[in-house]
Amino acid sequence: MLARRVLNRPRSLASPSSWAASARTVTACDVIVVGGGHAGTEAAAAATRVGAETLLVTQKIQTIGALSCNPSLGGVGKGQLVREVDALDGLMGRAGDWAGVHFSILNRSKGPAVWGPRAQLDRPRYRQFIQAELLSMPRLTVVEGSVEELLVSEPDPEKPGKHRVTGVRMADTGRIILARSVVLTTGTFLSGSLFMGQTTSPGGRMGDPPSGSGLSRSLKEVLGLRLGRLRTGTPPRIFKRSVDLSLAQLQLPDQRPTPFSFISNGTHCKPEEQLPCYLINTTPGVERVVRESLHLNSHIQQDTRGPRYCPSIESRVLRFPGRQHQVWLEPEGLTSDLLYPQGLSMTMPPDLQVRLLREIPALRKAEIQAPGYGVQYDFVCPTQLFPSLEVRSAQGLFLAGQINGTTGYEEAAAQGVWAGVSAGRRALSLPPLSLSRTQSYIGVLIDDLVGRGITEPYRMFTSRAEFRTSLRPDNADLRLTLKGYCDIGCVSPRRYEEAVRMKAGLSEALSALQDITLSPTRWREKLPQAAVSANKSGIMSAEEVLQYKDVSFEMLASAFPDVLGPYVEFAERLKIEAMYRPHCEKQRREIERILQEESLSLPQDVDYLSLPVSLSQEVRELLDRVRPATLGAASRLPGMTPAAILHLLNYITRTPQRDRSAERSSTPDPQNLSDESRDSFPCVPVSQ
Amino acid sequence: MAVRRRDAAANERASTAGSPCGKCCGRGVFTSGGSGPIRGSGGCASDEMSAFLGGALRSRASHRLWSSAPLCATDTIFALSSGQGKCGVAVVRVSGPASALALRGLTGPDRPPAPRTAALRSIFHPQSKEILDRGLVFWFPGPHSFTGEDSAEFHVHGGPAVVSGVLDALGSLPGLRPAEAGEFTRRAFHAGKLGLTEVEGLGDLIHAETEAQRRQALRQMAGDLAQLYRDWSQRLTQCLAHVEAFIDFGEDDLIEDGVLDQVDNSVAQLQTEITCHLHDGRKGERLRSGVQVVIAGETNAGKSSLLNLLCRRPAAIVSPIAGTTRDVVETCLDIGGFPVLLSDTAGLRETADAVEQEGVRRAREKVEQADLTLVVVDATQLPTDPLQVPVFLGAHLLAVLPHGVGLEESLRHCILVLNKSDLLPVEQVEKTQTFLNKNPGLPPASLLSCHTSHGLENFMTSLQSRLSSLCGDPLAGTPSLTQARHRAHLHECFQALGQYQQYRDVDLALAAEGVRLALTGLGRITGKVGAEEILDIIFRDFCIGK
Repeated sequence: MLARRVLNRPRSLASPSSWAASARTVTACDVIVVGGGHAGTEAAAAATRVGAETLLVTQKIQTIGALSCNPSLGGVGKGQLVREVDALDGLMGRAGDWAGVHFSILNRSKGPAVWGPRAQLDRPRYRQFIQAELLSMPRLTVVEGSVEELLVSEPDPEKPGKHRVTGVRMADTGRIILARSVVLTTGTFLSGSLFMGQTTSPGGRMGDPPSGSGLSRSLKEVLGLRLGRLRTGTPPRIFKRSVDLSLAQLQLPDQRPTPFSFISNGTHCKPEEQLPCYLINTTPGVERVVRESLHLNSHIQQDTRGPRYCPSIESRVLRFPGRQHQVWLEPEGLTSDLLYPQGLSMTMPPDLQVRLLREIPALRKAEIQAPGYGVQYDFVCPTQLFPSLEVRSAQGLFLAGQINGTTGYEEAAAQGVWAGVSAGRRALSLPPLSLSRTQSYIGVLIDDLVGRGITEPYRMFTSRAEFRTSLRPDNADLRLTLKGYCDIGCVSPRRYEEAVRMKAGLSEALSALQDITLSPTRWREKLPQAAVSANKSGIMSAEEVLQYKDVSFEMLASAFPDVLGPYVEFAERLKIEAMYRPHCEKQRREIERILQEESLSLPQDVDYLSLPVSLSQEVRELLDRVRPATLGAASRLPGMTPAAILHLLNYITRTPQRDRSAERSSTPDPQNLSDESRDSFPCVPVSQ
Repeated sequence: MAVRRRDAAANERASTAGSPCGKCCGRGVFTSGGSGPIRGSGGCASDEMSAFLGGALRSRASHRLWSSAPLCATDTIFALSSGQGKCGVAVVRVSGPASALALRGLTGPDRPPAPRTAALRSIFHPQSKEILDRGLVFWFPGPHSFTGEDSAEFHVHGGPAVVSGVLDALGSLPGLRPAEAGEFTRRAFHAGKLGLTEVEGLGDLIHAETEAQRRQALRQMAGDLAQLYRDWSQRLTQCLAHVEAFIDFGEDDLIEDGVLDQVDNSVAQLQTEITCHLHDGRKGERLRSGVQVVIAGETNAGKSSLLNLLCRRPAAIVSPIAGTTRDVVETCLDIGGFPVLLSDTAGLRETADAVEQEGVRRAREKVEQADLTLVVVDATQLPTDPLQVPVFLGAHLLAVLPHGVGLEESLRHCILVLNKSDLLPVEQVEKTQTFLNKNPGLPPASLLSCHTSHGLENFMTSLQSRLSSLCGDPLAGTPSLTQARHRAHLHECFQALGQYQQYRDVDLALAAEGVRLALTGLGRITGKVGAEEILDIIFRDFCIGK
């Protein structure tokens, strides 16, 4: 309902042609997104889907949607994020289906909850898809340039925050662009330095100019945000023709590619045209080169915290010496003559990089097109953000992607979607929303970032999600698309209708399965493959039988063609549903408890040190330092006591104004939510 | 050229037939596979009789706001809800949807008591059918009950054997577990059953209960048992980390299947050990009930004299030589009707004597586990200027009480005893007593003489008032309840490990869920284990390459 209302909003802004008119003019829009990487593109697209007039500022239109590092998408944990971004109508999943050249589901043998949809991508195709989508998107304008500084003014006193961001000033022309929300997705470009051997140069990605230091200054000095420093790296690119592939193990894709997107009919690449990957192993020679070159490698010597996963080959052999390490040689695209050696990110001088590669038999004659290098960059400590990804102290400023200390395309895109939704909603005066960690990996990601902060680049794992048996890649549409349309307003009607059809179909099919009940003896006759145990007693439904390992929905459908025949298209999802439903039911209670506590927002402007409630000094200081957004977040803080939670609960409910808004949070009616009550509610949870 | 698939490693296993899911319950309505199940089962008509007879397991969870829905609505909890001490009748309270089941289980299926009316029944153990007691039972169908849920009460004779018999019997029923600290009141609060003024006091009560429980657990966990639980917890954490590593990184890194075989062995081993432990008749040294009161202070302040004075017999050796008491001397007392376990400890001082060092260590351990600490100070050392007294006493308290997080708490659980008042000039005694009565930001303090008993009455009044507030707390000093809770959590842990084995070859995500649940169960005894700890182990044990 909401989405339609917003989409019909009359255009109130200057037409795009006026942007280019002249320098120094002051122009205005709803949302400005700075950065054209995975976070920025999703943010810009999501903000426009919500209904905001959006401006995407990027250094080069050409590099929008560039895959700066690995030519692949998805994987275990990350694949779930891609599916969720897609369920919220993001670009990433469809781009992956268009650009993929090698599809496989990882963890196929370990249970559908932890399946990892993954694909190798064709770099140019991925870029083309993203650019084509963005450049043709209504309400979205893309401009080339770099932002010199954020425009900051006095805060709106009705809302929490010390400052208000009102727009940006461009570097080259000095032009001022005003906006109600600004999303920063500058990736590794915030005070980025590139490292190779002993040389260091400013920049965020090899081949691109460094961005102005103005933004870093705006964040640090003007807004007073706490920054930290992280590092990452990328491997050299190797010419395929110089590699002896007969010495590598061949890794084939799935014969039937599974698309990422819920609305893709298939992948663009034909199954038989997919490209393979290759597996090779390191040798003792590799370790020798690493050790001999340590004195020439300034990146590895510095102790800025690097990732424990995706580490450089240097740190792999130093931490686990005397072992073989795996390296995957991945195709860079259908027409590319390059291979990407996953697992060989390195920062030693280029001549030594070649020496190192040539210690591996398959790479004995390897030639490189570009050497590997390391990057160090600033990130903003993400505990300074609301769950909407808005900066607590700066109204209207949103951050997404590596600037928040994450790593990976999927993590960036997931935050991008949410920052775009939040920025768009703010610009349209809609109340901010948050996604619960009980509903989505995106919720887990954001809750971990803003609730706990990071000490190393954050990557998604399935083990981070407490409810991963409920948050499966197969049901992301049911979890998010319906809410995405009805409550969030970021999903197109077409996708919504598809999700509604899917939900109805699954629901009908499951009741049909529950309605078929037979005695174990009859099941043994009807479906001998199921091998229903002889000492089983009572009657069994078809749903129970479907939980048996060797029973597929197709088998049941051929045994009961009249009743189950119509639902064969849902076969795989039904099997998974039947398998997990008993466990999800058990989890439901815990989920409900968390949701109840999360639906109680804690006021952001409260002074915990003087709150007239009996709390110990330690708890007061803890609350003052962390400022949890909800009672749920507060109860997860180490050092929190049950009594303190109760006092907080009592405090919230005692204030009539807050009580009012708390009730609203269960059935958001954003239009009626006054500014006053939003003050105490930084984020309303997406309704359950 | 060898062909290898990224998930080839575990493919073979996928083909080994495993057992089907046997645990499915056909209940519930399908609601959009994980997105929709947030809705509760809605309200239900309060047909009280049918609830008693049949609807025992029906959930009363409401999907409305928290104010009308208790947290964790489906668990049924029980606890001794009368205070300890001398009492003829003990009240055991049950709350939650399985309350009716509990009532039927312990009193038989016939003649359900009318709602909110006392009924005399024989109470027996549901398994052994052994008669435990004959007492009054009450049935309070929700929402007209203290917690707003279905609840029941058993009013039985106050002896420890009867009470622990009833608690054991309740614990043996499915769906029932011992209550956590403050859970009844918390539920009542969530059901909107408490007025605002009551809520104010509730926080403090919960705080007291949590603290009492923490100290109780500390006592229980002292020694070999703690070592055992910690060891299990570490092994289980390791298991979970390795399963998670195999799930999150197994595809691309050299994590061999051997990792899971190790986990299989560990899980089987743990299951055996936990079963043995649960069936082991030896429960360790029987923990005595009573409020634990510990006398502590510097050497030669008169701690042992105070003990002797309180128990009216020379239980401890007293002498003018500092360091006479070297071990903990315990004695059971009845003070104003309250059961008290009084311990005298070695004087706290730096010493080179190995035996005395051990005594000091034990003394400190005792103080940490105490419900109430009597800090004894030699009054002859008090500074003559009254303004200096608070600093002097503050330093003494700091030297005796445990430091860190617990300090604020321990200050609330202590009484200062200024001994040897007979050695002070009369006017100083009066001056000091007047000053102390003004309560200069210190715990309650009494000036007395163990030698002449002067000031004893004053001290006894203050001691009894503390004891009465401590005994009002039903969870303090009931080791059997703590033990019951531990057993319930261990049982949970054991069952969850069964889930690992059931799904090991079918669905590793569900198997991992079993290990996670097992660790949660154990974590309720030993402390939580978070996701970050699991990741730490993964990165310590495996080289994750991508």
